[in-house]
Amino acid sequence: MKLMVNGYEAHVATGGKKFEKNLPTVLFLHGSGLDHRSWALQTRWFAYNGFGVLAPDFPGHSLSKGAPCVTIEDSGKWLADFLDAMGVREAHVVGHSQGFLSALELSKLRPTALKSLIGVGTAAAIPVNPMLIETAGRSPMKAADLMLQWGFGHQTQMGVSATPGMQPIAIGRQIMGNNPLAIDLQCCADYWGGVDAVGLVTAPSAMILAGQDKMTPIKAGLAIADHLQAKLVVLKDYGHMLPIEAPKQVLVALREFILSVEKQIGASSSS
Amino acid sequence: MGRSSYYHPDTMALHSGYVPESDYGSRAVPIYQTTSYVFDSVDDASSLFNVEQGGHIYSRISNPTVAVLEQRLAALEGGSGAICTASGMSALFTTFITLCSAGDHIVSSGQIYGSTATLLRHTLKRLGIETTFVSINDQGALEGAIRANTKMVFCESIGNPGLEVANLPQINSIASQYGLPVVVDATFAPPGLCNTIESGANVVVHSATKWIGGHGAAVGGVVIDGGNFDWEASGRFPELTEPYEPFHGIKFWEEFGPNALAMKIRAESMRDIGACMSPNNAFLLLQGIETLNMRMKQHIANTKDMVQWLQSQEQVTWVNHPDLPSNPSNVIARELFPNGAGSMLCFGVVGGRAGGGAFIDSLKLASNLANVGDSRTLVLHPGSTTHSRLTHDAMVAAGISEDLIRVSVGIEGIKDIQADFANGLRAAQHVAESQS
Repeated sequence: MKLMVNGYEAHVATGGKKFEKNLPTVLFLHGSGLDHRSWALQTRWFAYNGFGVLAPDFPGHSLSKGAPCVTIEDSGKWLADFLDAMGVREAHVVGHSQGFLSALELSKLRPTALKSLIGVGTAAAIPVNPMLIETAGRSPMKAADLMLQWGFGHQTQMGVSATPGMQPIAIGRQIMGNNPLAIDLQCCADYWGGVDAVGLVTAPSAMILAGQDKMTPIKAGLAIADHLQAKLVVLKDYGHMLPIEAPKQVLVALREFILSVEKQIGASSSS
Repeated sequence: MGRSSYYHPDTMALHSGYVPESDYGSRAVPIYQTTSYVFDSVDDASSLFNVEQGGHIYSRISNPTVAVLEQRLAALEGGSGAICTASGMSALFTTFITLCSAGDHIVSSGQIYGSTATLLRHTLKRLGIETTFVSINDQGALEGAIRANTKMVFCESIGNPGLEVANLPQINSIASQYGLPVVVDATFAPPGLCNTIESGANVVVHSATKWIGGHGAAVGGVVIDGGNFDWEASGRFPELTEPYEPFHGIKFWEEFGPNALAMKIRAESMRDIGACMSPNNAFLLLQGIETLNMRMKQHIANTKDMVQWLQSQEQVTWVNHPDLPSNPSNVIARELFPNGAGSMLCFGVVGGRAGGGAFIDSLKLASNLANVGDSRTLVLHPGSTTHSRLTHDAMVAAGISEDLIRVSVGIEGIKDIQADFANGLRAAQHVAESQS
């Protein structure tokens, strides 16, 4: 669906079903240079199983118009405005990579907006080599190539796909190469507020981490999981692009955690 | 620019799409000779049917062995996804019927395989889809044929059998001005000879029966989604951008983006038309792909030798191959095919139609049959076989003369091929002498 946020049209995927705001909401946030399609094989299950699903393209990415956010703090503010535009007061917030940093900023701005926080293939800080940012500025496709070589684990590099017949590297390349990758990477490089933001999180949390992650090494994710006292799931045979290369395993982890949080909420509201 | 893997093409040809399974560690790709797949639970079944997760339901839609072939071919062509079909013709029909509906229009090269010309000229016309045939490298003719209801520009990367190389960058430049995808049948240019997607194709079709399989053992086809066409910006494809009712109103472009076409073909054409590839054929074609690049090097080397040799024979009246300066598309052929423009060649012999017949009937090593791309040398007289359904004018437009002999040069020892052809040329000479 399309909606206006801060004067610009934003695209938000709703998992193939009309968004119902009276249902528990799950908000999916994509990583650097990516878009809502990162979550194609998670969003539909939630939409068809009792949840309202929102997977926006951040401004200036793929189907959303407007200028891209130039800081993680801006993206957190945009998310708050986006939820206001949708009339959503609280959501389970799932962030992949850079999307998790944006979720942390949303949490800082609107602590009550998070029913739960789930990080997927991420950390509290994502330092980026300046050479990669420079490359992305000159040639987003070349930078996408570098990131996809590091980002996907062995199986995807070997052309194995969770969706029969498809090639995730080519799909990711088309999306990342045509999005404002350099700006996203600069946002990540400049952001050092993650650890402080993590300290303010009060919502239940989970971290789904990849054993072969070369972009946000697992030790950084484990540190955050420890800090948050988060439920931890490690998928050891996969790389950074977890939602795409291990969609079923990520979905299972997400639904187990989110359903357990909903159950707790239901139990506490009935007691 | 298309790219699906960071491995060398030789490595992709051996490995892409499969890593040994944990259960038994089978090094070769297993043949999943099964119609269907047991669901973990009712919820699991429901989520597979609703595209909430990837996986296999029924082998008409997808099959694990066929999926390895699809992923390997997508990797080799640099596409975002691939769908294998029962044959090259079913790959073409699937592509046309996915992108076109009654009332739509196709602009096609006139120089294409006879059965494809018949599909476009007669079968699709019966379904309300019209085709205008043009000389594909004539910019004015191509642009002039595009209408408001045109859905694609179609050509073969190397035309069959006239061997005209399509100027893909130029065709893409014109098509993209009108928001049209370029659909290329690259059967004569298997992966490795030409970067078809990088050169300008948005959709690549192969008859995998030919060089990809390479051994004349299995029929199959493939549609490869280049992932490089913006179906929404085009404004011509509600099939991909508007809700698709049979699938809960799914919008393929919004949901899948660069692999929207491949997913639509999987969801609609494989379900409704069902022209699926058998897992056994997929396995045979995978064996062929493993040595594709090595075979192509020998095919090309033999072809270069045969072209030179034929030119030196007095019974040969003309020789055509895109690498020859006399071929009208030689300049673009050298650009798109730096290592050689395929292993098809055509030539004429003294004695005209009867001389050509005598030539073919005298061959012992080369096989007279309706196929190309086998490891063995194959010959055919198109005027009496593959293109016999065409009118005289259509044959001329397709670049076919009555004396044309089509050769698919194999990888046998070159001296043996030349000795066999020398016998055939002597037979043609006898016919010519009896005519004079």
